Formats: sequence, structure tokens, C-alpha cells
Amino acid sequence: MTTEQAEISRGRTFSGIWLIPLLALVLGIYLVAHTWLNEGPEIEISFMTADGLEQGKTKVKYRNVDMGVVEEVRLNDAFDGVIAKVKLDRQALPLLREDTRFWVVTARVGADNVSGLDTLLSGAYLQLTPGTGAKEARSFVGLEQPPETPTGAPGLRLQLTSDRASSVSTGDAVLFKGYKVGRVESMQFNPVDQHVHYEIFIDAPYHELVNSSVRFWDVSGVSISADASGFKVETGAMDTILFGGVTFGVPSGFYAGDAVAQNTEFKLHTSYEDILANPFRHGTYYVVSFDQSIKGLLPGAPVEFRGIQIGKVERIMLKEGLAVTKSLGEQGKGISFPILIYIEPGRMELPDSEDSIATMRESVEIGVTNGLRATMASGNLLTGSKYISIDFFEGAKAASLGSFMEYTTIPTIDSGLAQLDQKVNALLDNINALPLADTVASANTTIASLNQNLVSLQSILENQSTQQLPANLNETLQELRNAVENLSPGSQAGQVSIRACCR
Amino acid sequence: MTALTTAADRGMASCHVCYKLAPTTVHQCPRCGSTMHLRKSDSIQRTLALLVTACLLYIPANLYPIMYTDQLGSTEASTIMGGVILLIELGSAPIAAVIFIFSVMVPSGKLMAMFYLVWTVKRHSPLDPRQRSIMYRVTEFIGKWSMVDVFVVSILVALVHLGGLLVIRPGVAALSFAGVVIVTMIAAESFDSRLIWDNMEEKSSDN
Repeated sequence: MTTEQAEISRGRTFSGIWLIPLLALVLGIYLVAHTWLNEGPEIEISFMTADGLEQGKTKVKYRNVDMGVVEEVRLNDAFDGVIAKVKLDRQALPLLREDTRFWVVTARVGADNVSGLDTLLSGAYLQLTPGTGAKEARSFVGLEQPPETPTGAPGLRLQLTSDRASSVSTGDAVLFKGYKVGRVESMQFNPVDQHVHYEIFIDAPYHELVNSSVRFWDVSGVSISADASGFKVETGAMDTILFGGVTFGVPSGFYAGDAVAQNTEFKLHTSYEDILANPFRHGTYYVVSFDQSIKGLLPGAPVEFRGIQIGKVERIMLKEGLAVTKSLGEQGKGISFPILIYIEPGRMELPDSEDSIATMRESVEIGVTNGLRATMASGNLLTGSKYISIDFFEGAKAASLGSFMEYTTIPTIDSGLAQLDQKVNALLDNINALPLADTVASANTTIASLNQNLVSLQSILENQSTQQLPANLNETLQELRNAVENLSPGSQAGQVSIRACCR
Repeated sequence: MTALTTAADRGMASCHVCYKLAPTTVHQCPRCGSTMHLRKSDSIQRTLALLVTACLLYIPANLYPIMYTDQLGSTEASTIMGGVILLIELGSAPIAAVIFIFSVMVPSGKLMAMFYLVWTVKRHSPLDPRQRSIMYRVTEFIGKWSMVDVFVVSILVALVHLGGLLVIRPGVAALSFAGVVIVTMIAAESFDSRLIWDNMEEKSSDN
């Protein structure tokens, strides 16, 4: 082994070992940059309560993918709700529009399903459904109830109104011929218009079954009716008996209408019979006022045009009539009762649409100048029920459409019945005034004298000369016959006399 | 102290591999043939670089979760300090103390001790070299115990895999923490303890 003189080196001033901390630094910077670049938006969601929301634990999910976590839950400034501050992932950014919805998913036991059982163990989470709105948003109002239908699901959302709540409620099925095609999303009672408003959603592709001619009716529970043919029990599907449901269809005799837009309003009928009774959706109101007794005219009474029912009496506006009379300072003179009537153009075979209403109103306006008037007529003499008849009256006093509150009024003439009433009354009065007792007394004396006359007649007949009268009469007739035979055309005497006549 | 003489003073260098003492004039070890160095080459610089690396790794090790517990669908991330605080809140102070000592105090203490040693060597500090060498020995000995934390996490990850019921996954911090421990151990290894005395000598000889 050769040994050489070694140089005692001080070493390089910069060692390659520094690459290691440099690498660590690069890694660290990468981590920071990665985190910073993936920094998602921070949003605020307000809720009524913090039920199920846990700071740092409650996740936000969309299609079961974690989108973020609730960072903070605190009371709002007014202490009447809570605000959940949520840190979302960057990928959630495009989902945050103004109509993005959030709600807490917990285990729920519904009428027809049980959902969210996994949350019993894992705890509740916030469900996100992306919005499609134009504007971005960072603060949201959370839904207290999960929506029945996810945002953007294909289908048709419709509004139903009903004047009573029946047993249809949120989550109930919407059926078509007994098959479930949608569901009731929400219901609320509007105290202003006194109607229950339902929001329903029909899933695609069944939304194509809905057109402007369809009617919706309640198929909840069991309907039992009894008539001459016996008892009839009608039910829908089993779950509609228990939980209620809505069905729809085109009533028989109607053609399928046009496609309807989202959020079109339909009336929810109480039964199919109700639809058959009121099959039209479009109608308009008029007011008719009568200066006479309206006894027998009840809400629901028919309004007829030349014998065809075109509508019904909606209501007798007594209160409004009084108020108007009072405001005009015409108290104490008797009021004319305004009667609100509802006329459906569909009953006159016009298309069931808004256009027909306009057409009809136009023809009413023209008709009034030609003597179109409303009168009250007796429908049933036994019950005394009345209806309103609209017809043309020759020689009616000129009148025009008026207005009462927000309604148009059709001029009226006193009904024939009222006139008839007066005449009959006068007649009865005259009859009452007749001296019936005197008449009967004189008649009695007349009959007595008649009797005497008959007795004297009897004595005349029983007289001898009267008895011989037929024999004398017979003799006379025989002689007359002989005389006539002599004058007959076949005899000589007859021919002579005819010739004498001809000259 | 003055009686203290080093091999270097005598113009001798020790082989890194077989520890044969040879004159500094020879380039290779006469016995095993490996390259001779008077001291470990670039000791200070290497140690310093590795310490800086460890410091950098120490940041994510503490900020990021060391493990994720997926329990029945809900995931819980736990950091080192978070775990310690949780244990204290749960009343398990002794376990919290053990974790705190081995996972927080030891690694950070080690880093500080090493920095201090490098600093004193660089500054030719006159402080007691005996104390500093004790510090170095303790540091070197205790360093490997920090791996307890990493082992616990890796054993849990390997063992706890109960499908959807309970799954433990390692976090970023586990890797960086292991990095801190390994890098500091290498740093302690690359630090040439003889420099503690060398500098003393140089300084005293300077005087």
C-alpha cells in the first residue's frame, strides 16, 4: 500500500447536503400551495335550530361526496336562529348559486319510506343541491324540511289550490290511473284567500300526461255513496287510503289540451263527481242586481241563457250592497240586492280558455245594447227555487253594462214572475170581494121557484088534452106526408107544379 | 482541561470505518483502505442542513392530522396536539404526558439541542465541553424513542380495518413526523462530537 501525502482540505464551502432541506422546503411550499389553491369558499347557512349540526364534524355532501364541513355554529344576531359557517371544497364553487339549497339529513320515517338511517350512526349531515341561478351566493337559508324533489330533476312542478285541506299532505303520491307519477311537495294554507295551496311535482316522463284539459282530484280515503242502485264504495290505491293522494286525468268528453308551463295553477277538486259537476276551469264573474224579492235564489242556483245553463249564482252580496247603498246616501229606500254570478264559457261549447272569456264578455257587451237582460225566473214552483235567466227582451228600456265594485253588472228587468205574482194577487183579491153569500142565497130561491115550475109542468103533462096531443100530432104528420108525396118529381101533379115554377 | 490532548494535536487521524489511528499525512487507511478524514467531512454543514429539513418537516407534522378515524361514516381527524388536549380533557393525564413528552417535547428538544451544539461549535464557545457531550449523547440516545408515535399510528392503521365500522387511516403528519425523527437521527449521527473539544482547543490555542 502506497502512502501519499494527504492534503488537509477544509472541505467545500457548500455541501450537497443542503439539497435535502431545499427538497423539504419545496415539498412544504407545494403542500401550502396545494392547500391554498384548493381553499374552497366559506359560506353561511341559516337555520331555525342547530338540530344535528356539530361544529367541525357535520359534513356537507352532494351526491354523497364530501363537499365540506361545518366549522362553526352560532346564534344569529337576533337570537332567533342559528348560522352555520361552512368551509367548502373548491370543487363546490360552481354549485353555489342563489338557488342552491341546503338541508339537514337525519333519519326520517315518512309515510311511504324511511330515509337517512345511516345518519343514526354517523350523525346528521348537510345535503347540498346545486342551483342553476344566474348569480353566485355565499349565504343561504337552509331548508327545515328536505325538499321532496331534488333541484333540477326533470319533470313538471304545478300549483294546486283547494278550498279545504282534505287529507292530502306533503309527501303524498300523485297518481295517474293508479300509478304513482309524482308527489305533493308542500302544502300551505293562505289565510288571505282562504285556500290551501299545494305544490306538486310530476316526474319525467309522466309530466307529458299533464295538459291544459286535465283536472286534479283528491283520491284520499274511501268514498261511500248510496243511491237507488245500492251502496258504492270507491277507494284509490292502498296507500292513498292511509295517507291520501291526488290523481289527475282528462274528464270524459274533453279533448287533451295544450302542454302546460311550469308552476301552472290547477284546482284540486274534492272528487271526480265534483269535476263532472264543474268541469270547466275558466269562468268570469258578473253582478246582477234585483229590485225585488230574491226569495228562493240560493248560491249555486243555475244561471241560464235561453234555457242552457251557463253558470251559477256564486253569492248574494248583501253586505257589499248595503255598503254601497250607504255610501250613496240612499238609506231607507230599500236596496237592490247585488248577486254575484259565475259564468263559464265552456258551457256554451266555447273552448275552455281565457280567450273565450274575452269573446264572451265582448258578446255580452254588444248583446246588452240589443236587449240582453238578466231576470229572475222560477225554476221549481213546488220548492220555490229560482234561477237567473239571461235572454234578449224586445222593447227593454235602453241600458248598458255598469260596474259594482270590481265586477261588471248586467242590466236586469223585473222578472215575468214578479209581474205575474202581482196579477194573481189582484185576481184573488177580486175573487175575495165577490158577494158569494148573496149569490148563493138568490140561487137557492131560484132553485125553489124552479122546483114549483117543474111541479106545475108535471100537472100540465098529466092533463087529458096533453095526453091526446101525440095522436093529433101523428094524424097531422100523416096528412103532411100525403101532401109531400103528391109534390114528388115522379107524379103528375109534381111535374105540373115544377114546370109552373120554372116559368 | 489543559491536560486534554486530542489525536489531531498529535497529527493523527482516526479511520471512520475501522478506527485505526494513522498519521494525518496518509490519504487512505493503512488497514482497511478507506479514505481518511481528520474529522467527519462537512459535519457542521450537514448537521445544520438536516436540522433545517427536520424543522421544515416539523411544521406539517404538527399542523396536519396524524391520523383519520372513520367511525361509522363520520371521519375524525386528529393532530398530535389535538390528541394530547383530548386525552387531558378525558382525564387521562398520564397518557397525555407520555404522548406529549415523546411526540412534542423530545423532537423539539432534540432539534433545539442540536442547533445549540452546532451553534456553540461554530462560535468556538468556551462552555463546558463535558456537559455539551452529555447533551449530545442524551440527544442521540433519546432520538429513536420519538418513533413511538409513528409506530403507534402504523400499528393502528394496520390493525384497525373493521370495514365500515372503524377504519384508521394515516395522515400527512405521520409521514412528516417520521421524517422529522429520521432526519434528526441522521443529523445527530453526522454531527462530529469531537468538534466540541476541537474548538475548545483551537480557541485555547488561539488565546
